[in-house]
Amino acid sequence: MAPDEALIAVALGAYTLGALALLVYFFSRVTWLRDVGIPLAIIGCVAQFVQLAVRFELTGVWPLLNLYGSLSLFSAMSVAIYIGFAFRYRLWFAGGFVLTLAAIFLAYGVTWYEGTMPPVPSLQSYWAKIHVPIVVSSYAAFLVAFVFSCIYLLKYYAAPARPGTPIAAWLAALPTLPQLDMIVYRAVAIGLPLISIGIITGAMWAKEAWGAYWQWDPKETAALFSWIIYLAYMHLHTRHAWRGLRTNWVSVIGFVSIIFCYLGVNIWISGLHSYKV
Amino acid sequence: MTAAIRDAYADFVRTFGNVLFAVSLFVVWGILTLIGVVVDQGQDPSAYMQAYAAPVARAILRLDFDNIYHSPWSVGIIGLLLLSLAVCTFKRVIPARLPPLRPVNVEKIPLHATFDVAMPAADARRRLEQFFASRGWRVRERVFGGTEWSFADRHDWARRGVLVAHAGFVIIAAGTTLYWARGFSGELAILRGETAQVAQTRALIRLDDFAYRIAPIMTKSGMVYQPVDYVSRVTVTGNDGMPKAMTVRVNHPINIDGTLYYQASYGFGMRFVVMRNGKRDAALSNRTYVEGESLDLPGTQRSVLYDRFAPTVDKQSGMPTADPRVNDPAVVLAVSQAGAALGEALVPLRTWIDVGDGWRVVPERYVLYSGFQYRNDPGVPLVGIGAFVLLAGLVISFYLLPARIYLRVDEDGPNRSRIGAAATTVKGYDVFQGEFSRLMVSLEGSWRPTKP
Ligand code: HEM
Repeated sequence: MAPDEALIAVALGAYTLGALALLVYFFSRVTWLRDVGIPLAIIGCVAQFVQLAVRFELTGVWPLLNLYGSLSLFSAMSVAIYIGFAFRYRLWFAGGFVLTLAAIFLAYGVTWYEGTMPPVPSLQSYWAKIHVPIVVSSYAAFLVAFVFSCIYLLKYYAAPARPGTPIAAWLAALPTLPQLDMIVYRAVAIGLPLISIGIITGAMWAKEAWGAYWQWDPKETAALFSWIIYLAYMHLHTRHAWRGLRTNWVSVIGFVSIIFCYLGVNIWISGLHSYKV
Repeated sequence: MTAAIRDAYADFVRTFGNVLFAVSLFVVWGILTLIGVVVDQGQDPSAYMQAYAAPVARAILRLDFDNIYHSPWSVGIIGLLLLSLAVCTFKRVIPARLPPLRPVNVEKIPLHATFDVAMPAADARRRLEQFFASRGWRVRERVFGGTEWSFADRHDWARRGVLVAHAGFVIIAAGTTLYWARGFSGELAILRGETAQVAQTRALIRLDDFAYRIAPIMTKSGMVYQPVDYVSRVTVTGNDGMPKAMTVRVNHPINIDGTLYYQASYGFGMRFVVMRNGKRDAALSNRTYVEGESLDLPGTQRSVLYDRFAPTVDKQSGMPTADPRVNDPAVVLAVSQAGAALGEALVPLRTWIDVGDGWRVVPERYVLYSGFQYRNDPGVPLVGIGAFVLLAGLVISFYLLPARIYLRVDEDGPNRSRIGAAATTVKGYDVFQGEFSRLMVSLEGSWRPTKP
């Protein structure tokens, strides 16, 4: 097994075990599981970044130019942003969900592995080195927002439904709804400027490669669509009555649109951005 | 102004100044862009008829969904957004983000604290102000109805972040409008060795050479032919009349008098030898055809379409392969009679095909052509500035939390004062709760040593 493949295997293994440990921790609150899960998350994430660096070193080709590489960065950045949040705001209880998603996206990325290919001419640009990581990082921030929105919605709907039960007591131990909402807001506040920079650098690159900074290519348009959804999120969040339940639904819809923009457009709709070309 | 007009204006301001209305516009804008992602744009009407059920296809065409970004819907929604943005700015954003200094009912504000200190009011106030000033807060004093108030502000300037973000959006909108009003774009396909003139700028471009490089790569799912490079060597003559040699590649456009030219595509022009009863037809034979062009045979209703070039034909099966490098080339010719298709044939180069009535067509040799896109966009600097301003606005709005603390000090006896503090931020109270209590604890703590 080549070193980069071994590192991917390490990352996948660490995420899977870490996800298991943290998911059981989420339900059982047995703290040693958390203490096992945290290092596994960190090991997986570090292995992924080392893998990308090793791959670049071995092949000399920027490793993010196909779905394999970009999904790999997506899952690594999701875990990295999550780890940052978890350390800062003590949110390890959500790690199982983030690691599960990271493992799924990484495993899916591996199915697109085709070996090493030189990039097609339009991807041979220094913009590839700037634009792709920024866009993928914004998706990762939205993934973290999505996970906390789901936890918010779970708590919102499930807690009042079963008052006095162990489930209610268990949900009560999660951060309060306003706290969860604030975490989502903070994650979106990372994702929205990043996707804005991503769209802008994409436009600058497009200007260089295709002649126009905006071509209404399905990919850029889908990114604009997601941008609009998160813009709606931010604006609704300025309204007291909308902050919370509704904005968290918008965050969920936003992430669905991100996945459509990221994978749906590449796989189903061919255009200038399609990796199939 | 009559009452009716006043009412209508009030309704307009109420509607357009409502963030929920703006968000509804975002939703419509989002739906329009999504339609544009899902429905292929700029196709021929027949393509929609083929791809969709007839009523859907008719709806797509009638509603301009085939060119949605330039449809009245899109332009209208952007117009409404800008209008709403303008009204919101004056009716909501400025009053909400830049509130005047005024007294408040301290107890009514969710984040508040009161405590007593053993100190005359004037000294307590000076001390309070020092406390905030030393932590970087900007402190101002005002008197309202005989009561003295102090206001401590943090990141006061950042209250304008939203305005900056909104201004960025407006500048981008202005930049794109400028392209619509003054810019132009187009496409050119130039055969190797030929010169083309750009209609709008009169610039001359001669294609001296075109080359492409393709790497065959064995992958798990089979052989992939990966394009690695496209290069056009051109001689351009711009406004100054001086011919200049330049190279155009993907990601490396050239600039001729402010118009940018990009490597967009390439293809194979074809020279045919066309013969009638063994005699060469000079008019048809002396020109180069590009893919998609037809030769009309004089004196008949027959035409031969040069459909496409097949760079490599498999010797054994006689079928075109996926290899885009030229090895054993052939052309696909489609013959039709009065518009009705008669048949299609794959014709290797330098072989002939009989098309009836004594006509014979020989694909003789190919000539590479290079496809360029050009674009002159005077709005680019504005869009660039707008993007920068927008980003700055986003960062200011999201990462700085302007907060204001209202402070009043009341005399509560000869050597006693009562301090009331209340805090507001531009993002509600929850975000500031922890920090406010910490501030109040250290504020109260700073008095402790002097307490009796
Ligand atoms: C086009 C119509 C728009 C309208 C009518 C509108 C209106 C508003 C209003 C009323 C607020 C709340 C101000 C407050 O409560 O203090 C706001 C906040 C904001 N707007 Fe807009 N806006 C529009 C478009 C945009 C666009 C295109 C952007 C681009 C990025 C944007 C970025 C923001 C930001 C960053 C905030 C602050 C959010 C926060 O602090 O959480 N707005 N907008």
